[in-house]
Amino acid sequence: MSISRRKFLGWLGAAGLGTALSKTARAASNKRFDGYPQSSGVLFDSTRCIGCRKCEEGCNRVNELPEPDRSFSDLSVLDSERRTTAKAYTIVNRYDASSGAESPLYRKVQCNHCLEPACASVCFVRAFTKTESGAVTYDASVCVGCRYCMIACPFEIPAYEYNNAFSPRIMKCTMCHPRIIKGLLPGCVEACPTEALTYGKREELLRIGRERIRRFPERYVDHIYGENEMGGTSWLYLSGVPFKDLAMREDLGVTPAPRLTSGALSGVPIVVGLWPVLLTGIYAINKRKEKIEQQEKEQAVAAALEKAGAEAKAKMTAAMESAEQQKAKAIEAAVGKALEEAAKAAEKSASDTQAEDADKKSSEEDS
Amino acid sequence: MEKGRALMRWTAILVTFVMASFLMGSPAVFGVKTPPQKTLERRADIIRIDSMRVFGKLTRPPVTYLHQKHTEALENKNKDCSACHLSQDNRLSTKFMRLQNTAKEEVMDIYHTNCISCHKASAADKEKSGPVVCGECHKDGAGVLSSWRPIGMDKSLHYRHTKAQADKCENCHHVYNEATKKLYYAKGKEGTCRYCHQAATEDNRISMRLASHMECVGCHRQTLAKNESAGPITCNGCHDAGQQKLIEKLKNVPRMAANQPDFVFVKKIKGNGKTTNPATRMNLVPFNHKDHETYNDTCRVCHHAELQSCVSCHTLDGAKEGDFVKLEQAMHRLNAEQSCIGCHESKQTNQSCAGCHTSFERKRQQGTSACVNCHMVPNSRVSDEVQRSEEKMEAATVLENRQAVAAVYNVEDIPQTVTIETLMNQYEPVKMPHRQIFQAMINKIDRNKLANYFHYENGTVCQGCHHNSPAAKTPPKCVSCHGRPFNEKDPFKPGLMAAYHRQCMECHKAMEINKPVSTDCTACHAKRS
Repeated sequence: MSISRRKFLGWLGAAGLGTALSKTARAASNKRFDGYPQSSGVLFDSTRCIGCRKCEEGCNRVNELPEPDRSFSDLSVLDSERRTTAKAYTIVNRYDASSGAESPLYRKVQCNHCLEPACASVCFVRAFTKTESGAVTYDASVCVGCRYCMIACPFEIPAYEYNNAFSPRIMKCTMCHPRIIKGLLPGCVEACPTEALTYGKREELLRIGRERIRRFPERYVDHIYGENEMGGTSWLYLSGVPFKDLAMREDLGVTPAPRLTSGALSGVPIVVGLWPVLLTGIYAINKRKEKIEQQEKEQAVAAALEKAGAEAKAKMTAAMESAEQQKAKAIEAAVGKALEEAAKAAEKSASDTQAEDADKKSSEEDS
Repeated sequence: MEKGRALMRWTAILVTFVMASFLMGSPAVFGVKTPPQKTLERRADIIRIDSMRVFGKLTRPPVTYLHQKHTEALENKNKDCSACHLSQDNRLSTKFMRLQNTAKEEVMDIYHTNCISCHKASAADKEKSGPVVCGECHKDGAGVLSSWRPIGMDKSLHYRHTKAQADKCENCHHVYNEATKKLYYAKGKEGTCRYCHQAATEDNRISMRLASHMECVGCHRQTLAKNESAGPITCNGCHDAGQQKLIEKLKNVPRMAANQPDFVFVKKIKGNGKTTNPATRMNLVPFNHKDHETYNDTCRVCHHAELQSCVSCHTLDGAKEGDFVKLEQAMHRLNAEQSCIGCHESKQTNQSCAGCHTSFERKRQQGTSACVNCHMVPNSRVSDEVQRSEEKMEAATVLENRQAVAAVYNVEDIPQTVTIETLMNQYEPVKMPHRQIFQAMINKIDRNKLANYFHYENGTVCQGCHHNSPAAKTPPKCVSCHGRPFNEKDPFKPGLMAAYHRQCMECHKAMEINKPVSTDCTACHAKRS
């Protein structure tokens, strides 16, 4: 099919209109999610953390995780930076004193339980759930092991049971969801001897964090990490040094991960659903227009032909008639002429032959 | 069929186009990573040449100029400051190769011609040389970090200068005469340079930066020219942390002679003689001016605007001269190093004090009964008739009679050991050497006059641990207040386990007591079998 410039632009315009219309719908459906009301969280205060690894031990115990390679009382593991593994939902890292701090700094690493988790948004089988308790939980029974969640997580938290050949699972902190719904404290929080981890309602924790900063402005950086990072997390952090000194990412922005793709993805239903209809419609209209045109053309031709035929007929008739008339006229004229001639001849003969006439008359009278 | 395929093709193009425009809108999709920072050199001699700013907006990035690098290079060629700085009336201009900022083009040419020609010349001599093309000087980002440290005239340095100048104060100190528009020396009116020379140059006074570089460096140069020993003339000499340490510091510096009192009552109203007024109700505060001179390096720590009594600007009701900071605020304001309490409070960060004081919120901790610690003398004792000299005598007597010893309970009343067993679970009870800890705390503040004055009640020292309850011989037990953690009704009170651990560990950390290590559980309580 050849396509005219005008037609193409027309389609493009219609398609553009379709997307423009969809924008209003998107704004209404994508309002900010500030977490479930009354959901729980944990506030980690790095100025209180002594790096004792009791939280790791507590986590291991309550989650019945496998024995660690090196005992929890062995603090030499802190010499190298670690990440969460399939055997450890949480780990503590040491960061050596940098700007302004005399003593080493510690940070506990575990799932941050994002308000709008990236892991859940990429999971096409919905193995992850942001529960109303605040915890992001994982359902191994539906997991297909694609490990998209591991790639999506900006904090590099989910780990995979690579050593399990037949039923490998994603392993990550659950904020001790089974415990907190029973009213118990998460394992790590319970084990912390200095309350470097404070458990409570997220909103309350934000208040506590701000109050600590207000009371001890020299001790803290005036920021609660996780209040807005990646759209907010249920695990919050206070620190006495810039968060980057605790190897925490400061480049994440405040947009929740799902929203980064929701723009493009919300276009999909429109493209998939609306556009075929729209474009088929336009196509059909064009098609119909062409058909009607064709029909009209044919009709016009027929009419023209008919008209021409009629005209010709009329002409013929007229011509026939005029010919007839002419013929008649000619006959008449001929007859007239003949009569005239006859009359003339008659006159002449009459004068010539009056006698004859008389004779004739007589003869005629005779005859 | 042909038609249908073309339609599909167009649809596909459109879909791709729209998808791409969506994705473009969110840059975070392309996880942009910041490049790792490389460690930059730290220097004290960085000058940003942005002199062209006076002529309007800069068209090129300012030049990062390393002054010391140039002086060293020139020194090797036996050239001195005059290679780059012109002088007028025997004074070097701080500007480069000119005395004044004349016109934009002219100043620009001065920089370009002189810098480039010298760089070219040294390059021609096969020496290490500087850039000659635009972008190598005019580039964004300094490429170096500043380690510049300010320097001031402390007591020791001032004394060394007065000695060197043979007590000729007029060599440095001057005041400006508005009428004649000239500088002259006013005896007895000497003050800190910074009283007049502020951060920026104003109509009749040059900035502190300009004044100090012209005067200090100028004098040092001239002295050096006479082959006499003099102060530094290079950037690092004054502004590098390492070099600053090399500046000789005298231990016994005689008091500065500025007519200051030894002892005095903090005046509440302006003018001489009268210290009392029916309107002033608070007791008088005697002040040991002499001792406070020894605690501080400069006069301007307290006398931040002029060498006058506080009340001359900070009146009881506030006045314009004092920026409407009232006398009460000027004396009591926290976080202000010029105020009494502000300065006293800053001493709490001393290692000996920090153990208790870091865990306190920054606010006035003591009750109103503490006011009389300073407000010692009732108004009636110093009447209007009393002469100024007698008043000073009275202040001296009061202060000298004051005992600088912290009040404490009898040692026998302080428990020898305290066994903490409330929480016993994984570990055995802790036997805390209670009295030993107390003794250690007392020993720390033993020689500290300030601490001894202010720990004035028998239980004040005890309140470092036994906080939030009145000082008492038998304070409440920890468990009376601290219980289950994360109580929603009292979110700022730690649970009992955290209360114990933090009280011990944070104090040890602040006082730099490295044993026992916080992570060594069994150092305090043995593991339960």
